[in-house]
Amino acid sequence: MKKKVYSLAAGLILLLGSSCQKFDNYDEPQETLKGTIIDKGTGQPMQTEVGDNGVRIKLLEYSWSDNPEPYFFTVMQDGTFNNTKIFKGNYNIEPQGAFVPLVQTDGSGNVTVDESVTTDIKGAVTLDFEVEPFLRVEWVGEPSNDGKSITAQVKVTRGTANPGYQQALSDVYLFIHSANPYVGNNNYDQRYVKHLSGDELNDALGNTITLTTTGELPAGRTYYIRVGARIDKDIAGAKRYNYTDVKEVQIP
Amino acid sequence: MNVVQDKDVFSSENGIKSYLARVYGQIPMEDFRYSPERGLNMFWIIMPSPAYTGEALCRDVHGALSENTKYWGDAYKLIRDINYFLETIPQYEANFSQDQLNTWKGEMLFARAFTYYALAKRYGGVPLVNEVLKYLEQPIEELKVPRSSEAGAFDEVKTDLDEAYNLLPESNQVGRATKYAAAALKSRAMLHAGSIAKYNQISLFDDSNNRLCGIEASKANDYFKEAYDAAKLLEGHFSLYKNAWKADDKNAQYQNYIDMFFDESSKENILVREYQYPNSVHGYDCYNIPRQYMVGGYSSYVCPMLDYVELFEGFPKENGKIKTLENGKYVLYDNLTDLFKDAEPRLRATVMLPGDEFKGDNFESWRGIYIGPTTGGISPLLPEGAIEKYEASASKDNLVTSSNAGQTAYQLSNGQMMNPAGRSGRFADDAACAISGFSVRKWMNPDMEASLVVENRSDQSWIEFRYAEILLNRAEAAIELAAAGQGANYQADAAQCINEIRERAGATLLADASALTIDDVRLERRKELGFENKTWWDLKRWRLMDKEQNNTLYRILMPFYADKENKWFFDARYDERAERYTFDTKWYHVEIPSDEVVKNNIKQNPGY
Repeated sequence: MKKKVYSLAAGLILLLGSSCQKFDNYDEPQETLKGTIIDKGTGQPMQTEVGDNGVRIKLLEYSWSDNPEPYFFTVMQDGTFNNTKIFKGNYNIEPQGAFVPLVQTDGSGNVTVDESVTTDIKGAVTLDFEVEPFLRVEWVGEPSNDGKSITAQVKVTRGTANPGYQQALSDVYLFIHSANPYVGNNNYDQRYVKHLSGDELNDALGNTITLTTTGELPAGRTYYIRVGARIDKDIAGAKRYNYTDVKEVQIP
Repeated sequence: MNVVQDKDVFSSENGIKSYLARVYGQIPMEDFRYSPERGLNMFWIIMPSPAYTGEALCRDVHGALSENTKYWGDAYKLIRDINYFLETIPQYEANFSQDQLNTWKGEMLFARAFTYYALAKRYGGVPLVNEVLKYLEQPIEELKVPRSSEAGAFDEVKTDLDEAYNLLPESNQVGRATKYAAAALKSRAMLHAGSIAKYNQISLFDDSNNRLCGIEASKANDYFKEAYDAAKLLEGHFSLYKNAWKADDKNAQYQNYIDMFFDESSKENILVREYQYPNSVHGYDCYNIPRQYMVGGYSSYVCPMLDYVELFEGFPKENGKIKTLENGKYVLYDNLTDLFKDAEPRLRATVMLPGDEFKGDNFESWRGIYIGPTTGGISPLLPEGAIEKYEASASKDNLVTSSNAGQTAYQLSNGQMMNPAGRSGRFADDAACAISGFSVRKWMNPDMEASLVVENRSDQSWIEFRYAEILLNRAEAAIELAAAGQGANYQADAAQCINEIRERAGATLLADASALTIDDVRLERRKELGFENKTWWDLKRWRLMDKEQNNTLYRILMPFYADKENKWFFDARYDERAERYTFDTKWYHVEIPSDEVVKNNIKQNPGY
């Protein structure tokens, strides 16, 4: 019995080994695609969150197939992106995030707007996309603190006049985190966050909103805060937030 | 060479019945053996459906979920079996009567429609495969069936059910489809399609402009009309169960509502799935029995949350929330049961309330004994909105609690001994108890012998379609049609359906039919169909799930005994576990398994 097990195991190892014999003859990906998502209205990079629910860039590689599987990568928190491991090829590139979609279809599936870019990627390609964010979230003054909580003021305005994207403001958050500056809907401390939604936001657009953290913040730490806001509109599977930049607040 | 061949199965009635049994066993009913975490036909239901819907808290569920098991491959295996039957049976027609053939064909179409609906509600448009594909013989391109539009998938359900309705008999063996089961499923599926057309925002098109996700808004009324008409087909053939019901008798109404789920001859049952120990079993009683009755090592997996209880009536409320304070001090009660003594009978039959009688014992649910000062009343134990445990709060010195079920009785100031926590909880550090202060009552078998409440021992039938749902489907379709200006009669009809449900439930009837809104109809549905694994899909098709669960903390109700007063009070607070629920909007269309996307070149849903 033992012998059988050993010979089986030996056979398996042989099989495993032999499958490594064939060399992959395709060059490793080494082309670069980089750029910035820019708010058309202000000319500034558009703030977003890290991960799938921030801004993701959809790539369709048409070198092999007319109907390719999409490939996604995500934009950094400050609105820039830089992917240095892309295969050489012909791509259609479309960022998706909390802004008026670059590709829009009508009710019967006809493409009405297409501002996506189709290009060859070879070497380093820089592409900037100008977009109309759903919302612009701006600090009003500097955040203050009383040693126990942080208070910040912001103003939320529409970033687009496009009639298809005027859904109601549904959520405003003061996100807070103490471990690292990657703060947002993707990463925040549940205990101290401040959330406004529903009727609390009826008159919020265009007016100064004051947000104070919940509970008592432990002292002697650095906190990273930012405000995010979103409208009731799903883009590529998520209702995405627009953000202020991140501020660092010391509680002594 | 196959050992069992077509002629062995298809030549005799017994052979056909075995084929049917196989198909029925695989119909994707979300019954006692379903959970979003582990899928269909699983025995181990410790992360149950109601824990994702705003119905209940479960100690093993820590947030919202899409569906962790992807129902895809099993669906197409079943559809293939059905198609194979439909294609093969004509060769054996001579052996059977026309009635038999019609019934079987109708049952197969019913099962196929059920399966396509299960797919459509998850994925939107799916490949429609209505013939047996021949692997190897057919070229590979023919085998790669693309997704239909979402409307196309629902239309296929409708087509199959219309044909099934014509073929099926009025009655059939228990557990098998009838004409009315087909109409019932049609009303459910068409209502779903109408809701998608009206409320969905998501769209995804393929290269030929088929809308794979979402349905044109202009089709909503057609679907609502189909749902309404299908529901009307059942009128006069079924009725709400009222065998033990008596007007103005809350106890009788409560008992009647309990009995409904166990009376096999109920006139309300349209289609059930039967279980029978030891051949086919589930563990509903074992997993959900309150801790004090536990013998099988499991208990308390479905603890209805206060937010759900507050949907009902019959106890003090303020702005829709339970009222436990008067002028900033707790209201004191003589008995644990007093707060809910006038509760709507349907609530008591759905949710076990603190102190309720069950199996000859009282369901003991309390959090602790308050030993602090009581002169001038007792102030709230926690600041408003707090999520910390009592043991970590400023009130901790005024409380005696128990960390687990092995508790030591406390000597009260009157000399009597009392457990710090109820025998079913809540314990501070052991969540195997009534973590919300409540336990589920619906479907719990009151007659099952205590020692038999172990895993795989329950065998009460699952009622997949009961007439109450049909009335609710009808009311919802009607109120949608009325809102769309399709006629005032619809408004009146919706109100009448709702009143039938409310009367049986022991709830207050609508005074004014014209005041009925879609929100009222939905609320009635959540109450009537709670813990029947329907609410998850309802909230999703209404596209309300992401609002129900938007960083949501649910609430619980913790009873306390005030030692110096010899009275009870109740603390309404946030879930002590501080679990937050956020439903991701991309989950409105479930992710298609990635291997299917690759091997069949199927277009993935948005966001994945």
